[in-house]
Amino acid sequence: MSQPKKANKLQPFDLVSNILVTFFAVISLFPLYWLFTSSLKNSSDVVKMPPDWWPASITFANYVDIFRNQPALRWTFNSIFVAGATTILVIAVGSMAAYAFSKIHFKGRQIIFIVFISSLMIPKEIMIVPLFRIVQDFGMVNSFHGMIWPNVAGAFGVFLLKGFFDSTPDALREAAKIDGAGEWRVFLQIMLPIVKPGIGALFILNFVQIWNDYLWQLVIGQEKTMKTLMVGTATLMQDLNPNFAYKMAGATVAAVPMLIIFILFQRYFTSGATAGAIKE
Amino acid sequence: MRIRNSFLKENLTGYLFILPQMLIFLAFLVYPILEGIRLSFYKINYQNETFVGFDNYAALFHDPVFFKALVNTVVFVVFIVLLTVGFALFVASAIFDKNAKYVSFIRGSYYIPVMVSMVVMSMVWSFLLNPANGLISYFAREAGLGTVNLLGNTQTVMPVIIFVTFAGNVGQSIILYIASMIGVSKDLFEAAEVDGASRWQVITKILIPSVQPTTIYITIINIIAVLKIFVVIQLLTGGGPNNGSVTLMYYLYNNAFKYNQLGIASAVGVIMFAITLLLSIPQLKAMLKQK
Repeated sequence: MSQPKKANKLQPFDLVSNILVTFFAVISLFPLYWLFTSSLKNSSDVVKMPPDWWPASITFANYVDIFRNQPALRWTFNSIFVAGATTILVIAVGSMAAYAFSKIHFKGRQIIFIVFISSLMIPKEIMIVPLFRIVQDFGMVNSFHGMIWPNVAGAFGVFLLKGFFDSTPDALREAAKIDGAGEWRVFLQIMLPIVKPGIGALFILNFVQIWNDYLWQLVIGQEKTMKTLMVGTATLMQDLNPNFAYKMAGATVAAVPMLIIFILFQRYFTSGATAGAIKE
Repeated sequence: MRIRNSFLKENLTGYLFILPQMLIFLAFLVYPILEGIRLSFYKINYQNETFVGFDNYAALFHDPVFFKALVNTVVFVVFIVLLTVGFALFVASAIFDKNAKYVSFIRGSYYIPVMVSMVVMSMVWSFLLNPANGLISYFAREAGLGTVNLLGNTQTVMPVIIFVTFAGNVGQSIILYIASMIGVSKDLFEAAEVDGASRWQVITKILIPSVQPTTIYITIINIIAVLKIFVVIQLLTGGGPNNGSVTLMYYLYNNAFKYNQLGIASAVGVIMFAITLLLSIPQLKAMLKQK
């Protein structure tokens, strides 16, 4: 960790830069402040000019509206279920594959790993037509299966966890095998507990990514009750209700869970986000 | 005999461990890519597929909207990536050696918009930019600019989308830069300080060259992210005005799910796939060398 420098040592250039950086940081939070305070205004206050910087009277009517007139509770459940199930599957199949690539000396592991890794940068959205047809052939349109399985295909989990398995000593596996433990037991009882921090990071990163996924879930969840929170909230934009406070309440409902996750697990984003970066 | 047996067993165990991931990978990633390439040579009408060779690609290059989408996407990529890398370097180099609490506050402030996703950010911006009762329009009126509709004007729509996308994504790059800069050896800075180097010299001569691998990584992931830009377009402009902000991904989506032109949409996908693959080669090479 870098030691904080004494404030009086700041050179003028450094001082000006930091004032600007702090100023822009506050500016970049302003839209979210406006989102939140607008959601607490009534339909006439929200469009009042000049605006109230803080709601003159706070109302929760927009939130009541969102949950009563829109299936927002159902959307929230859908999002939690889809993001949760996808993440658990990614961890299950990804940790097995990562363990094999890291510790088991099977033929062709190098080349198969390269094939996996090559797919890391390809966004699934650009293959949306064939992917949609495949999901259609499986009869998974408008179902959780259709939202979940294509998101388990990516190799990010394998890539992230392989790094964690690589840093465990090979001797552990060999010793356990000499004691007569099978591969499956070595994996489940010895190796998995060691890479727990990696699994934690993968869980958080993947959950957030799926929660915020939009395009794929837009085309798969076609019925109103099958939409995820992001897609459902976005439909409020096209809603006939002209009340902006109501739309802002919807967006707030979609944003709050991610804010909570960020506050609780900040370190995973600052470490995990760097997993793909090259170290010098 | 025993050695041969254990060798076979090792192989078999390895394959079994990667099997589940492999099957899902083949079904939902490899197969769609191959199928997408095949479909791009077909005209598709519900269950009827007719082979048409390169007709879909030819049709694309005769469609002015496709060209508009291509040009817009390139403009977005160039400007958003330059802004993102430049601004993230500026922020990270200013704060990386400061007090940990301060770093964490700045990092959080820029990362929270990334966290709440482009859907939420687009909704707020559409309110802020709304010509009748948005805050930005109000300030423009107060400043004597009259009624402004920044998203409805072909002159302003691109800069606005560039700014909104940049503001919603730059936090990711800031985080990567800070992590990378904290890892740069302290000896280098101390040596420079002894030699009387200014802060500006330290940043440009030592810090920025030291984090070059991160710069390459950030550039590539941002190019690929902007290449598939969709949410902002759908929620803020719908590609308008007059296709003024249409992008490749939005064009693909419309062809696939609105006009039912699956062959055309697949051809766009193949073109985007080829671009993505080309762009990611240097990064993949670096990642493999790393081991």
